[in-house]
Amino acid sequence: MATLCKVMYNVSSRSSLLPKHCVFTTLRSLCSSDASGGDGKSAERVKSGFAAAYEQHSDLRQSGDRSSGDETSFASLLRRSALTQMGPAKDKIVVGKIFHIVNDDLYVDFGGKFHCVCKRPSADGQKYQRGSRVRLRLEDVEMTSRFLGASVDTTLLEADATLLGLIESKTKE
Amino acid sequence: MAAGVLSGVRQVFRGPRLVSAVFSCHGQTLSSASAAVKSAPDTAATEKILNFPLTQPDYFHLSELFTMKDLFEARVHLGHKKGCRHRLMGPYLFGSRLDIDIIDLEQTAEHLQRALNFTAHVAYRGGIILFVSRRRQFSQLIETTARECGEYAHTRYWKGGLLTNAPIQYSPGVRLPDLIVFFSTLNNVFQQHVGIRDAAKMNIPTVGIVDSNCNPSLIAYPVPGNDDTPVAMEMYCRLFKMTINRAKDKRRQMELLKGISASV
Repeated sequence: MATLCKVMYNVSSRSSLLPKHCVFTTLRSLCSSDASGGDGKSAERVKSGFAAAYEQHSDLRQSGDRSSGDETSFASLLRRSALTQMGPAKDKIVVGKIFHIVNDDLYVDFGGKFHCVCKRPSADGQKYQRGSRVRLRLEDVEMTSRFLGASVDTTLLEADATLLGLIESKTKE
Repeated sequence: MAAGVLSGVRQVFRGPRLVSAVFSCHGQTLSSASAAVKSAPDTAATEKILNFPLTQPDYFHLSELFTMKDLFEARVHLGHKKGCRHRLMGPYLFGSRLDIDIIDLEQTAEHLQRALNFTAHVAYRGGIILFVSRRRQFSQLIETTARECGEYAHTRYWKGGLLTNAPIQYSPGVRLPDLIVFFSTLNNVFQQHVGIRDAAKMNIPTVGIVDSNCNPSLIAYPVPGNDDTPVAMEMYCRLFKMTINRAKDKRRQMELLKGISASV
């Protein structure tokens, strides 16, 4: 409120030629009218400059608080989810985490419904342990196919991806 | 909702044979002959303990156990591909995006609430709950969950007459489960688990997590949701364990209060 009055004083002192006591009275009346008009309901005069910007930003902040309530609806959660934003899975680069290892098979979870199984690469083979983060190129989120004579698809309960490499995790400050 | 729970629980106690259970008082109140054996205030207090929770829509406050955002983060909404869809799962799906079926979490939240509420009431009344799943990836998790809440699990090969031929395969007076919870309704060859049909034959209510390739028709309390991801299964196990423990603790508390008020 004090800053608002200060700015208004600068604006009016540059533009108007009124004597000082009149400037102070107009300042006080301007500040009081802005305090009530800042709610955006009773302002009669067209605001310009800082006043207009302040009003616009306070309205935006209020509307931002209101729309955060809608974020929890399933439709909006789905729309903003990474899987939807990614689009078709073909040739997309994702980051996965190894959660199980059987000899040379690495089971990687990248955030989809299924995991993918990749062969341990020959380069830097021992660095791939449980919990390592790796880069993958996705082919398919779920490997399914309709065979002749079947009424439903047969699913392999796995995703299909190629291993690109480890993510070198250095301590970032 | 309370009426639905009432009819479900009455069905439970008519079907299986009761031998000796700690809280078998409800079976006795159904047959009026033995009511005269107990003293009047004792029966009234017991009846109040058993009947009062059935009048409340959410007696165990299970709606605070999960939110839809928790379900979303546990990837419960992800279904199989469109070609794997079972025709009866259509109504539970939100839609299909790039051939992947998306399960409607708003419906799932309601169904899960109903299923957990029913499980809590069965556990409160001292019912036996059996967890069943044929997914070998999660069998260890389900068995530890059952152990931690004091209930039973069957995650191995289901022998043919386990429920339907129990008096011959086990012993003549064996007690069957009062509720069967299926964490995955399919067996390893993508056919419906035999236990669903057998439980329906033996009048045992079922709760089941149905994925987009499962048949929800014979299950009493289906919960449409993902049954393939470890995060989702861990969440279901945690929810059922918390529900059952909460219901049993509540029952112990009510029995203690009854004991205190009877001695006073």
